[in-house]
Amino acid sequence: MEDYFSYTEKLFAPAEANQKPEALKGIRVLDFSHVIFGPVAARILADYGAEVIKLELPFFGDLWRPATYWGKYWKHSNPIWHNITKNKYFLSVNLKLEKSKELIYKMAETADVVIENFAPGTAETWKIGYTQISKINPRIIFLSCSTYGQYGPMRFFPGWDLLAQAASGVLSLNGYPDTDKFYKLPDYLGDFVPGNFGALSIMMALYYRKKTGKGQYIDLAQSEALMRLLFNYTYHSVTGGAIGRTGNVDPTMVPAAIFKTADEKHVALACTTHEQFKSLLNAMGKENLLGDDRFTNNFERLKPENAKFLNNIVADWVKNKTCAEIIEIAVIASFPAAEVVDDYMICHDKWRRARGSVVLFKDDMYGELVIAGPSAQLSGTPSRTKWLARPLGYHNRIVLKKFLGMSEEEIKSLEKKKVIGTFDDRPGLKPPVYYNLNEDTICNYGKEVCK
Amino acid sequence: MSPKKQKEAIYTRHGSSRLAELAKALAEIMNPEGKAEVMDDLLILDASYANFAGIIAASLFAEFGAEVIKIEPPEGDPARFMTPFGVHVKGTGIPFIMEARNKRYMTLDLKNNNQDRAIFDKLSRKAAVVIETFPPGDMDAWGIGYRQLSEKNPSLVYIAITPYGQYTEQARKFARMPDADITSQAGSGLPAQMGDVADKGEPYNWPLRAGMWAGWYISGLSATLGATVALFHRQNTGKGQMVDVATMDAYSSMVGIPASIGCTWGKARPRIGVLDFILYPYGHWKCKDGYVAIAAPRDHDFRALLKILKLWEIEDDWRYSSDRIPDILEQATHLHKLIEKETVKYTADELVGMALNYSKKSARSKWRGGGVPIVMRLMTPETAMENKQWHIRKTFQEFHDDALGKFTISANFVKMSESPPRVKWVSCEIGKDNEYVRDKYIKE
Repeated sequence: MEDYFSYTEKLFAPAEANQKPEALKGIRVLDFSHVIFGPVAARILADYGAEVIKLELPFFGDLWRPATYWGKYWKHSNPIWHNITKNKYFLSVNLKLEKSKELIYKMAETADVVIENFAPGTAETWKIGYTQISKINPRIIFLSCSTYGQYGPMRFFPGWDLLAQAASGVLSLNGYPDTDKFYKLPDYLGDFVPGNFGALSIMMALYYRKKTGKGQYIDLAQSEALMRLLFNYTYHSVTGGAIGRTGNVDPTMVPAAIFKTADEKHVALACTTHEQFKSLLNAMGKENLLGDDRFTNNFERLKPENAKFLNNIVADWVKNKTCAEIIEIAVIASFPAAEVVDDYMICHDKWRRARGSVVLFKDDMYGELVIAGPSAQLSGTPSRTKWLARPLGYHNRIVLKKFLGMSEEEIKSLEKKKVIGTFDDRPGLKPPVYYNLNEDTICNYGKEVCK
Repeated sequence: MSPKKQKEAIYTRHGSSRLAELAKALAEIMNPEGKAEVMDDLLILDASYANFAGIIAASLFAEFGAEVIKIEPPEGDPARFMTPFGVHVKGTGIPFIMEARNKRYMTLDLKNNNQDRAIFDKLSRKAAVVIETFPPGDMDAWGIGYRQLSEKNPSLVYIAITPYGQYTEQARKFARMPDADITSQAGSGLPAQMGDVADKGEPYNWPLRAGMWAGWYISGLSATLGATVALFHRQNTGKGQMVDVATMDAYSSMVGIPASIGCTWGKARPRIGVLDFILYPYGHWKCKDGYVAIAAPRDHDFRALLKILKLWEIEDDWRYSSDRIPDILEQATHLHKLIEKETVKYTADELVGMALNYSKKSARSKWRGGGVPIVMRLMTPETAMENKQWHIRKTFQEFHDDALGKFTISANFVKMSESPPRVKWVSCEIGKDNEYVRDKYIKE
């Protein structure tokens, strides 16, 4: 039999992923959403082959376009924005005009999915909500994203990822006990995780529609999505107490914490089973602890005083070893251990590049940028990147021509009436300074232009 | 008004009557009872071992109606014994109870018993999805890996969850290393972004673990999402495939930010405590009776916040968002303290009320540049459960199980008008459905 890892290497063949079929080919998504929560749900569908048309207001665009880490732009674009909205068609329409609504309704006729994350009630008021769109296209799958949901007394409260973290209680959990040192989950995780839940519910609705022909309305509250990730509520209902903050210690296993090594690095180390615990004790030369009544089974070991005792022993052991030594021992003795990695390491780790979970992407407009690949690799219909984010209104002409069958004259007249528009001079909205849009095929109705 | 009524009034906002009608109708429409289940025709085998990412992936399928059979050795999956501070209900830990939803429980010893492997092989021919978390290559060596199962069942979707995945040299080298949540967090870059600034002393300036199973929940969610895409492809073409999740990718692939920062900055970000890299104010502050979360990052939101807190005289120094981002840490910390000086004068309810009154006025005004400063009371999971919003939305569900007693879980995480997820039962004794599975799927 062929060696397993050469079999899987051929099965996944990351270098040829782009030639494999796309699972969502032919699915059309209208993305009315902005910032991160909604756009991420739409991007995941785009990564798997759906045609996602992102709508933005002319000269203003998505609020998140200019929002970059420490105000540092990359080629006049926001480097993290490329991870949030790649593979989409960027259409910029002035929603205030009746003519624009006609365009949207026309597109809704052939769309499969609509995603929005305005404050609840806004889409309805603007007449692009589920009640209006479903009349045009009853098979539509309509996802409304919000912080508190579309019904209930708090529905009109505005929200961001931070507010969902505050409402679900997860913000209060990351930090040290009995201090005021606690922190929100970083990098807007409270938007990204619910965004993935959004993509999941759309996939479920698509699966259901294939079986029954029925579309549906989906109400996703990001606070509720975060609540799905916590067993703290269950713990409270059983014990009446709270898990609270436990610093760098995971209270569900022993030992399990982040430790400092002799070479000033940080390493996470854990034992999930009794076997792993035994092999760790062997590796540390502390077999004598195995006979101790306090450590004979998981439940006993997990009692706070026993756990503290064991975590301290491990901390002392780790402190005299280098990070590489700990990892080497862990591989041989078979217990979980991993170095705490930072941005630079993630970007440059060779194995992530080989796996395709970090990708050096060559873009027609922006050149080379390292972006993240998916954590779930599919052998048959892998997710892929086709292009990065584009300037505001970049796809106006091609979308209207290709998807609505409009003539160049009609499109020009829409431009003249300012129904569709593009960017102003702000970074994040405009193309890189070296890039000439007049020579760009896509901006010229899909025609080749002599350069 | 009574104090309780007063409090409810603060946390309730009314829209137009048309919108109010709509919301009432929605609450009716979104009731999951009696609705169809998306995956009621799918059989899913969850053979995950000592790994909650697999259990969570299986739970999500089970909530959408799939028949999920959890397969574990006769002594039970070690995942049953992972629980905060060792708290358990008759030998089952809290996380396992929380994720027990809607599953069948069957005992098979795949690690050691050839006969049990043959039963698994037989079951897998009827299955749509298999989930496993053994070291890469183990199932293959036992004759029940993707390579063998897909030969007899080409439409099988096979989910494998491990620290470094199923291919690449790294996966081979680290094949024997098991998975844990904290290593998944650390190895995918989450803790590096959390913790206090460098000069605050140890251990506060260390990378900090998220106080939840961020690694395992993200990995489980990614697995289910990837597999549902695969199931959609299977629905269209009849073809199955393998879904490979590496938990060391969990955080970095979910947010995507570390890779691009590492590339464009050429270095790693420092830890900046309670501050945010892009938005300010965007975090939590002390107040008279606890903490509030404040988000007022756009310039007009920030101006509004200054007016509310009577800090208008400092507006000139902090006018633009670029003045407020913490690339000069001392500067941002200074502003943070100026705001804190004011917030501690009020209770959380007072601050929320002040911000809401302001937002209502600015939303009604003809000139919409008034800003929407958002202030909310900071909840703990325990106080969050009390909120009326979640009662109305049935976010928390109470169960009374004969074996496990009474407890609450978070459920109904998304409302869908036609085919919503739901939790039907939570009982999870080892091997409780052995006979059921044998009668339904193995006997012939």
